[in-house]
Amino acid sequence: MAPASLAELRESIRDAIARRCPLRVVSRGSWLDANRPVHADTRLEVGAYAGIVEYEPGDLTLTARAGTTLHEIARATSANGQWLALDPLGDPSRATLGATIATGSYGPLAHHFGTPRDMTLGVEFVSGTGDVVRGGGRVVKNVAGFDLTRLVTGAWGSLGVLTEATVRLRALPSVEATLLIDIGSATAELERARTALRGLPFVPLAVQLVDAAARQALGVAGGRDAFIVRLGGNEEAVRAQREQLRGIGEAHDVDTEIWRRARVAEPAGAAVVRLSRLPSRFAATWQDAERIAERWPGGQLHGDPGRGVVRVVLPVDGNVLDASLRAALEIPFDGTRIYERLPRALWPALAPTAMHGAIDRGVKAAFDPHYLLNPGIFGELQ
Amino acid sequence: MSGVTPSVATESERHPVDAALAARLAAIVGDRRVLFRPGELLAYSSDGLPGYLKQPSIAVFPGTRDEVIAVVRELARAGAPFVPRGAGTGLSGGALADGVVLLGLNRLSRILSIDAENAIAVVEPGVVNVALSRAVSAHGLHYAPDPSSQAACTIGGNVAENAGGPHCLKYGVTLNHVVALTVALPNGEVVTLGNAAGENDGYDLVGAFVGSEGCFGVALDVTVRLARNPQAVRTLLADFHSIDAGARAVSAIIASGLLPAALEMMDAGTIRAVEASIYAAGYPTDAAAVLLVELDGPIAGLDADVATVVRHCRDAGARDVRVARDEAERTKLWQGRKKAFGAMGRISSHLVVQDAVVPRTKLPQMLARVHDIAERYRVTVCNVFHAGDGNLHPNIGYDANDPDESARVHAAMREIMQACVDAGGTITGEHGVGIDKLPYMGAIFSEESLSAMCALREVFDPDRRANPGKVVPMHSCREWQMAPAARTGQH
Ligand SMILES: Cc1cc2nc3c(=O)[nH]c(=O)nc-3n(C[C@H](O)[C@H](O)[C@@H](O)COP(=O)(O)OP(=O)(O)OC[C@H]3O[C@@H](n4cnc5c(N)ncnc54)[C@H](O)[C@@H]3O)c2cc1C
Ligand SMILES: Cc1cc2nc3c(=O)[nH]c(=O)nc-3n(C[C@H](O)[C@H](O)[C@H](O)COP(=O)(O)OP(=O)(O)OC[C@H]3O[C@@H](n4cnc5c(N)ncnc54)[C@H](O)[C@@H]3O)c2cc1C
Repeated sequence: MAPASLAELRESIRDAIARRCPLRVVSRGSWLDANRPVHADTRLEVGAYAGIVEYEPGDLTLTARAGTTLHEIARATSANGQWLALDPLGDPSRATLGATIATGSYGPLAHHFGTPRDMTLGVEFVSGTGDVVRGGGRVVKNVAGFDLTRLVTGAWGSLGVLTEATVRLRALPSVEATLLIDIGSATAELERARTALRGLPFVPLAVQLVDAAARQALGVAGGRDAFIVRLGGNEEAVRAQREQLRGIGEAHDVDTEIWRRARVAEPAGAAVVRLSRLPSRFAATWQDAERIAERWPGGQLHGDPGRGVVRVVLPVDGNVLDASLRAALEIPFDGTRIYERLPRALWPALAPTAMHGAIDRGVKAAFDPHYLLNPGIFGELQ
Repeated sequence: MSGVTPSVATESERHPVDAALAARLAAIVGDRRVLFRPGELLAYSSDGLPGYLKQPSIAVFPGTRDEVIAVVRELARAGAPFVPRGAGTGLSGGALADGVVLLGLNRLSRILSIDAENAIAVVEPGVVNVALSRAVSAHGLHYAPDPSSQAACTIGGNVAENAGGPHCLKYGVTLNHVVALTVALPNGEVVTLGNAAGENDGYDLVGAFVGSEGCFGVALDVTVRLARNPQAVRTLLADFHSIDAGARAVSAIIASGLLPAALEMMDAGTIRAVEASIYAAGYPTDAAAVLLVELDGPIAGLDADVATVVRHCRDAGARDVRVARDEAERTKLWQGRKKAFGAMGRISSHLVVQDAVVPRTKLPQMLARVHDIAERYRVTVCNVFHAGDGNLHPNIGYDANDPDESARVHAAMREIMQACVDAGGTITGEHGVGIDKLPYMGAIFSEESLSAMCALREVFDPDRRANPGKVVPMHSCREWQMAPAARTGQH
């Protein structure tokens, strides 16, 4: 099914309700369900419902249909010196706004700008009851009604199919620079650098700690772990930021292109898990992640010390045994472990459910009472 | 709409007080903490919204988290509707309890923990907003959302309203600062939403709860993110000979991409009220409008941004732009802004504090519209608002006992709200819907959207006992009755 208008989309869903036909919601299909066990054979293709609906640069807001790619948005906004400060993994010319919000995807820029939750001002979606629902609005501040925008952000299309969203834009920094700082691999050294970064009088646009394997993939090879720091602001501000970074370690410039490369550098089909704890425990979280990556050929790590998150990327090819991957991933860890992508068979074992209680189940039942939208995506059917 | 002529229902009209319930509540919290005599309840019969007096049947004030839970469970057993209340500074009537139980949370005012290293704090719901910032200031931190009522309002009330404030332009509103919550659901069950120590998967229930106006349950503790104090702050006052010039300056600053920490506007009426009060801030009394602009962050590069702001103000026709020389002058400039409502309130017997939002490029035309509407209805509007967010507060002082004036005030407000909606805006940016904005919900949301909101509320409160009759008009909730099987959540 590939509805071309809102009315057709609603009809498709109403028809599916009448026939009790479960739907797999597909936009550009670049990341589908990350192999999550969705129990639906019929694809509801919504990626063609695209286009910028309203963009008034002076308001720093943009409204677009869900199938609009991040690339299209970047093209329109950069012409006015603005951007949607969101850089999720994946090729921006395929990644859609709707899928990015639905999956709550973000990238290194979250360090400064937050995640889709923080920049989505309003949404329109068709719920599993076949209703066209709007939450929020097109202005930057809005508390009218209960917050349906936050509810569908990160809900992976399990409550409704997003058709339109309004997002907050920012001005592009007039000057940008990216610096790489080598640090030793000792935990004490990492902790010293982390503390020093945190003590800076400014918050960089992005801070990523990368291990040797990730450096290699990004084209900035080096034997040791390194911080890659993205700076932005007016000329004087960036000059001072550079100065201040030098206090942390030897810093040298790398091409700002590195951030674009990072979005597509990952081995296709890799198994990915995010480990997180409070930022103060970042060094320990990094060590735990190292214990996973060390045991896996080609394992890569990168993490954001400000958010306390480390992403572990394990390349997977056809010959890998699920059992050995599982053994590598299942180290003892007392923080939060969020799987991003796994071989299909491992989802039920490693991430049985993201439905944590009666309220989660109640929300699903209220918005998708017949369990027709991406059923099983949160493990709710196991 | 606010400003209905005050009336206290007579004793016989009201629900008979459930003496047995009051006694059971007293057994939990002690006799002194349960009020049910009309005289005692008067103080809890209104909130910040003028013109309403709604008497609760019982007001109960638990002192500990366990007492709150026990009270909520007792109310659940009794099937009794209730209204949570913080400091009662809300401006949309959200904390009004009309013949039902009022659950006061102001005694739960402890800061439970401060983690300076990770810049988070866990607080009880009755902690006063400014008390939190004071408590963490020694660590070089503050709590960023700063409603003008911050000296009185509570974090619980802020969470329920998703409160904003002048500095939310740069730092974000309450939603962006709450990472986890413990909530007593209306059925007495206690749930934890969110996770302070790591990321979340699954539904964003913290996001859903923030701004739920007391309809989803009672916040028992709130984990908030704290902001680091900026290295430097510059506060500017620009004055204009016309409102239009001021509004154009705002639009130009925003369009330039600069992100001031705050960008507030006050018009002549507001300036005069402030300057005639004890909060006189030194605003020029002959100005048609002033902008209070704050820039903060690292010292390096800050003055370049200040220069950009000054240039935009001058280009728009500012008569004068001055930068506060020291902390004392800064504080004074802010004090005038933060106490502006109070200053206006001294001048008239009643004050309607309105709250709406328009796109930032529409500010000049919208302020002109507001002016025209006010003239046509012969009412005096004073504007004092979060201009950088397009968040208008057109306020009208009047005498609620004059029926003709009241009618004109209400008609003018209706037209202003409609104009904001027509401009692509919304009916409330920070004060919430409560009962005041109920009639406007249909102007911005379809029946389908409203019933989806009802459905969400029912997940948290299937019996609709928490803050009944608020936020979503009852007639929109017909689907509640239609599909009970779909909502049990057992699948
Ligand atoms: C190589 C690669 C690596 C990636 N790595 C990550 C990663 O590590 N972590 C991560 O979070 N994301 C990752 N992504 C995903 C990506 O950042 C975003 O999720 C998104 O931009 C994908 O867009 P899409 O249109 O192709 O989505 P699709 O693949 O079509 O859909 C992705 C998911 O979103 C749902 N969805 C799509 N459109 C809608 C809609 N309109 N309404 C409701 N639900 C919808 C789908 O049902 C599906 O579950 C990666 C993508 C690629 C290509
Ligand atoms: C002079 C003045 C200036 C103001 N300026 C601003 C401003 O700049 N920005 C702004 O956003 N607001 C402003 N307000 C409005 C008001 O202060 C805010 O809405 C504030 O958040 C209300 O907090 P409170 O503790 O007084 O809550 P109350 O008025 O007691 O209650 C407000 C709502 O919260 C619910 N509630 C309270 N506590 C809880 C809890 N623990 N759990 C669940 N629900 C709860 C109540 O049921 C009610 O619906 C102003 C008000 C005044 C009087």
